[in-house]
Amino acid sequence: MVPPVQVSPLIKFTRYSALLIGMLYGKKRYDYLKPVAEEERRIEGEEKKKREELERIAKELAEASEESILK
Amino acid sequence: MAQAAQRLIQRVATKGPQLASAAVTYSRPRLATFWHYARVELVPPTPAEIPKAIDSMKAMVKSFQSGHLAQLTVKEALRNGLVATEVLMWFYIGEIIGRGSLIGYNV
Repeated sequence: MVPPVQVSPLIKFTRYSALLIGMLYGKKRYDYLKPVAEEERRIEGEEKKKREELERIAKELAEASEESILK
Repeated sequence: MAQAAQRLIQRVATKGPQLASAAVTYSRPRLATFWHYARVELVPPTPAEIPKAIDSMKAMVKSFQSGHLAQLTVKEALRNGLVATEVLMWFYIGEIIGRGSLIGYNV
């Protein structure tokens, strides 16, 4: 087998500092994005509830008017 | 139907261990090679190497300033570019570890 290469200390150092910086960056970005996404989900849920309520009212109104036409 | 299912189970029972042993015989020598090289080439820098790394970083900055960059051959520049890309990939591996999911931010 070919003997392993002696990797330059600079490359080793930058490799592992890049790994560490990446870990910190990923953690920070995750912590920043998590509450944003939760807020979005909450707003979407509220809007869905409102929309369903409106649809229900519209349906009831339509049924009521249908009955009056047929009679 | 039941016969077909039974045959399938029998096939899995006989083929499963065969496949597993094939996977082991395939990967064992390759893993040994990987460890042989990784033990030397992939180790983190020792504390004694860090000042050396900082010194060579300073030398690199100096060579940038003195315009040595224009004296590189295409081959050297390509090789340096590949090394820089590799280091960048280590950053993304770190990001994957930091955010705790392989694909995208699972928020």
